[in-house]
Amino acid sequence: MNLRTIGVIIRREYLNKVKKKSFLITTLVVPILIAGLTVGAMYVMMTTKDKAKTIAVVDGSGIVAPYLQDTETIQYRFVTDTPVDSIKTRLEALGYDGVLSVSALNGETKDFTADIFSQKPFGMEVTDDISDKLDKALEDYRISTYDIEGLDRILKEVKADVSLKAYTVAADGEEKLSEAGVYSIVSMLLGIFIFLFITLFGGMVMSAVIEEKSSRVVEVLVSSVKATELMFGKIIGVALVALTQFLLWIILSGAIIGVAGKAIGGGLLAGTDPEQIAAMAQQMGGSEIDGMNLEAPSDLEVVMSSLRNMNVGQIIGLFLLFFIFGYLLYASLYAAIGSAVENEGDTQQLQMPLTIPLMLGYIIALYAFRAPDSSLAIFGSLFPFTSPIVMIARLPFGVPGWQIWLSIGLLVLTFAGCAWLSAKIYKVGILMFGKKSTWKDLWKWLRQS
Amino acid sequence: MAIIECREVCKNFGEKVALDHVSLQIPEGQIFGLLGPNGAGKTTLIRIINRITIPNGGEVLFQGRPITQRDVEKIGYMPEERGLYRKMKVGDQAMYLAQLKGMSAGDARAALKDWFIRFGIQSWWDKKVEELSKGMAQKLQFITTVVHRPSLMILDEPFSGFDPVNADVIRKEILRLKEEGATIILSTHNMESVEELCDNIALINKSRLVITGGVEDIRRKHGNNNVEVVYTDGDGRHTEVVQNTPGLLQSYLEKGLQINSYRELMPRMNDIFIKLVTEAK
Repeated sequence: MNLRTIGVIIRREYLNKVKKKSFLITTLVVPILIAGLTVGAMYVMMTTKDKAKTIAVVDGSGIVAPYLQDTETIQYRFVTDTPVDSIKTRLEALGYDGVLSVSALNGETKDFTADIFSQKPFGMEVTDDISDKLDKALEDYRISTYDIEGLDRILKEVKADVSLKAYTVAADGEEKLSEAGVYSIVSMLLGIFIFLFITLFGGMVMSAVIEEKSSRVVEVLVSSVKATELMFGKIIGVALVALTQFLLWIILSGAIIGVAGKAIGGGLLAGTDPEQIAAMAQQMGGSEIDGMNLEAPSDLEVVMSSLRNMNVGQIIGLFLLFFIFGYLLYASLYAAIGSAVENEGDTQQLQMPLTIPLMLGYIIALYAFRAPDSSLAIFGSLFPFTSPIVMIARLPFGVPGWQIWLSIGLLVLTFAGCAWLSAKIYKVGILMFGKKSTWKDLWKWLRQS
Repeated sequence: MAIIECREVCKNFGEKVALDHVSLQIPEGQIFGLLGPNGAGKTTLIRIINRITIPNGGEVLFQGRPITQRDVEKIGYMPEERGLYRKMKVGDQAMYLAQLKGMSAGDARAALKDWFIRFGIQSWWDKKVEELSKGMAQKLQFITTVVHRPSLMILDEPFSGFDPVNADVIRKEILRLKEEGATIILSTHNMESVEELCDNIALINKSRLVITGGVEDIRRKHGNNNVEVVYTDGDGRHTEVVQNTPGLLQSYLEKGLQINSYRELMPRMNDIFIKLVTEAK
């Protein structure tokens, strides 16, 4: 191996890719997308939907009025002098978003029916809210008809609502509030990202190999450098492109989320008094209005606590490590496949044996975030062709150190073996022209060199 | 002295034999023609000399010792199937290929500037390769083959794709490089340029070496030893083709004829090529 020439190859591969417009575009678009989604979610969470809906109520039962109190999202107007039918045809003119019609109480069944009419459909949030309130009105009415003293209080006491708090206990006995849901989401995201990156950058190596072969420049190149040097220069060059892109993505996403988050947060704070913020925070926390479990930690608190519990540094470090070796393993195989074809369209069939384990890894990863310690997940996280994806998906749940190191060891060994085989195929393949190659040809080349 | 010596070089791809015990010497400082029909094994031999392909048997000596990877820096190779990165700028491309041949960036830039000026193509430096015409790309390819001042140049069909004017430019450059001491292996089907340029040749057919040696010797050997004599007698000028024998001219003079010219009649390389290749069938 001639390090100087490999350096020249890496440099060209890197600069060539990084200077491309497509690199600039993906580098800019992805963080904007990520940041957009994050900020958008924040925005939706922090702002009240749209302006409050005004709903006319024609109450035939005479019992619902006390329950339909105005809220931030719905305002009720009780109408007594106009029949429903004439309101529902003139909603807009009357300034209503909808009209709720409650039938008269049926004394026997202690029941009523309710209909709501609107021009634009209401969201679930509105209909569920009204439905809940009508239920409550009817329940209270029914309770009152039993005429048992204190029944109201008794029922309230009977009603149970246990909030299960999940803690993870560290070896030192420190208890941390955790939430399986948060781990699952982080795990799923990591799995998806590593799967996408390996496919994306592995494919990039394959395209680069095909480009050199189809433009025939490869024969000139291998008359100057060894085929193996060319292959590894290319793989390393693309790896550096990937790392550059990661770095830019992390920096840009962080910057955009930071700036936009501050702008949105600041804007909201400016127009709201502290009490409202507190109320909003409580709402976001999902605490029950009846105040029965106010001590329960809010969802936000659990999310933050769970995120803090994960060793972010370790996860990022291992993500990079597994990405690099997973990429190297697959990129060397992609290079071998690229060497066998002259145009990208012919890769479909040859790519199958690479796509299948990658997909399998992805599927096991999806399973792993539900059962991170199942034997399938453990197998998947050790088997080198799926381990980068599955192991990274298991990481947020905590994986014993020996499994991580065993997995990395197996991955590195498999990479070395596959790189050796790929180089043999590559050497012969890049100079084979004219015929569409199959796996059988690749096998032949392997034995030939 | 031979810059390249092949000793019993063999290469097979699976069952197929591409080269069968080929031994030949390529003398330093000369132009060597590598001839043979398509599929004879020329490209395989060239790739073995370039160390692109490793032979199954035999050995290749470069300047008297077994060839190593470092020696390829002293070789320049222009394959028959030309190839450049289409999306790369001309200058970057030439710099890259020169650096792969071991030149420093500074040396490469200076040498390339000289060549671009010599060919009058300075304005191409920032163009993309895909913007060049076929002939222009050929010129660039030639430059990238010779820019690192190789002591051995292997040119596979160097004139194909050039118009007569540019083909002549390349022909002159090849002769100039030879004058400067370089050795050139010319693989071509163009027998005229073999006669014109080559000092020695090797003919390969069906994986085997058929003949190797000096062009003149080979032509003479395959001739019928005929000479063309132009003489003048009382009736005027006559041209006669006769078998060359010792004392032939003497016999003319003794008859009192005036000899205007006398030349050996040698067969064309083209005919020798066809004869040797079809004989083998």
